[in-house]
Amino acid sequence: MSSPPMFEADGLAVRYPNGELALHNVSFSINAPSFTAIIGPNGSGKSTLVKTALGLLTPLQGYIKIMGYDSVKETQKIRKLVRYVPQKDRIEQNVPLKVKDIVLMGRLLKKSPPRFTSGKDKELSRNALKQVHMEDFWNRPFPELSGGQRQRVLVARALASEGSVMILDEPLAGTDAESQDLIVEALGKFHKENNVNIIMITHDLNPIHSYVHDVLLLKNTIVGIGTPCDVMDPEILKKVYGPTAKVVEYAGHRYCVTRDSGFDRHD
Amino acid sequence: MIDIFQEILSSPFIIRAIIGSIFIALVASSSGTFLVFRGLSFLTAGVAHAALGGAALGLFLQTSGIIPWFDPMMGALIFSVFVAIVTGYAGETGISQRMEVAVGVSFALSMSIAVFLMYYIPPTQVPQVWGYLVGDILLLGYVDVVLLAAIAILLVIITLIFNKEFIYVSVDMEGSLAHGMNARAYHYLMLITSALAIALATKAVGAILVFAILVAPAAASNEIFNSVRSVMVAVFFIALFSEMIGLASSLAIRASPSAIAGIVAAMSYVVALQIRSYRNRVPEEDIPPPSYSSVEIFRETTLEGGTPNHSTDH
Repeated sequence: MSSPPMFEADGLAVRYPNGELALHNVSFSINAPSFTAIIGPNGSGKSTLVKTALGLLTPLQGYIKIMGYDSVKETQKIRKLVRYVPQKDRIEQNVPLKVKDIVLMGRLLKKSPPRFTSGKDKELSRNALKQVHMEDFWNRPFPELSGGQRQRVLVARALASEGSVMILDEPLAGTDAESQDLIVEALGKFHKENNVNIIMITHDLNPIHSYVHDVLLLKNTIVGIGTPCDVMDPEILKKVYGPTAKVVEYAGHRYCVTRDSGFDRHD
Repeated sequence: MIDIFQEILSSPFIIRAIIGSIFIALVASSSGTFLVFRGLSFLTAGVAHAALGGAALGLFLQTSGIIPWFDPMMGALIFSVFVAIVTGYAGETGISQRMEVAVGVSFALSMSIAVFLMYYIPPTQVPQVWGYLVGDILLLGYVDVVLLAAIAILLVIITLIFNKEFIYVSVDMEGSLAHGMNARAYHYLMLITSALAIALATKAVGAILVFAILVAPAAASNEIFNSVRSVMVAVFFIALFSEMIGLASSLAIRASPSAIAGIVAAMSYVVALQIRSYRNRVPEEDIPPPSYSSVEIFRETTLEGGTPNHSTDH
């Protein structure tokens, strides 16, 4: 029997908490191993798609599955195999945690209480911080870091954790160029060297262009699916981003230029 | 000096007040700290007033003969838990602004119920309802001390066992859920135990002392200390110190111990803010001297760019 797809949905429809229809008729199937990018403009339902996959939102119609597990019936199984990086402004800054506490969270959340920290947990956490060049910040207060540094620590938390699927919600938004490069490089390397699939929501496909295998282009439904160069079709992009979207070719790859950037949240 | 100690040790009400103070400080350190972390300091006021509504309902059911065995205390605890659950439901996604709104709404609802029912309770019994808000640490009874001790010890044990879970829920609810922790259960556990502790503490020592001791020391410590453990330890000592100053001054100058403790606790926050701003000041010697003056930079750019002088254009 062949293994189930890494990420699939059929006839999925989801509402935002405010009642608006966020996603409709979403059907796709992506096989493992994959580095998948989910792109689309503000309000296109990117975060809603992954939150539904994680069982944080309930579908109105249809289903979504990760590694063959249904988001509603088998939520716990999905959460066991997922490492998740939320948008960095979701992290409460009022709690006096150190960088090490945040990274160790990735290890300890996968254990059952009393969640003791082992030497191995510390070693893996330090190692993960090293991959994003944050090892010297081990004992520093997390709220005092810059936006880019905080994001790198959150990526390290996922790197240190366990599970065969890593999901990241806008890890490059609002970060400096250095942090972007470090995060992209660490993710690309991690995907290549470990048997871990990556699903990454992003506004900007360009920084990860060369690492990505599959792209889902969303605007409340699937507008395009394929390799990065397949999706970089001027006609498709104009449909999603409006007439200002342009496609440029560089070194044999197609890149997209849009005016879209920044966060979007629908609480 | 020895006389004073002898007097203190021979007055049971002072001993009860000191024991009560220790338990209130424990509640502040295990519950107040997390409420401040989560931006939920208003829950203290919400729960205390909800307890008033519950007590009114309990007394109404008892005096009207509908449920004669119903104790006002039971009503107070049920209403406190109700506020905690409504607040918890609003904050299931981890957004504290929504929880504050839920506290406000359930607080108003409970107070309205209290005032509505007070009309139907025999006037001689109405002060018993207000008693849920205006207890005094010097009037602690034996039963109050036992109840307060029981809830404080329970709260401390739960916080010791689940401190990591409570921290994770406070810092990143969404991430905790996604990584497989049953974050919602811990979220409710934290709010419900806090609500029960607040309700019992308010009944025992009064609203003013509970508001002041649960919020101000935690807010103060959170400004200064950089780890959860040190914040919790500092909260305990600031809370206990404020209460002891309150008790001592009530003996010396006949002041209300709660009021003095409240003032000292609030002052601790002001002092903490000062310490914080002093720490954040950058010493002058740390600022590097400018390597270029702005005039030089301007000259260089114009020379490199070869931009013609505007005056020659005319």
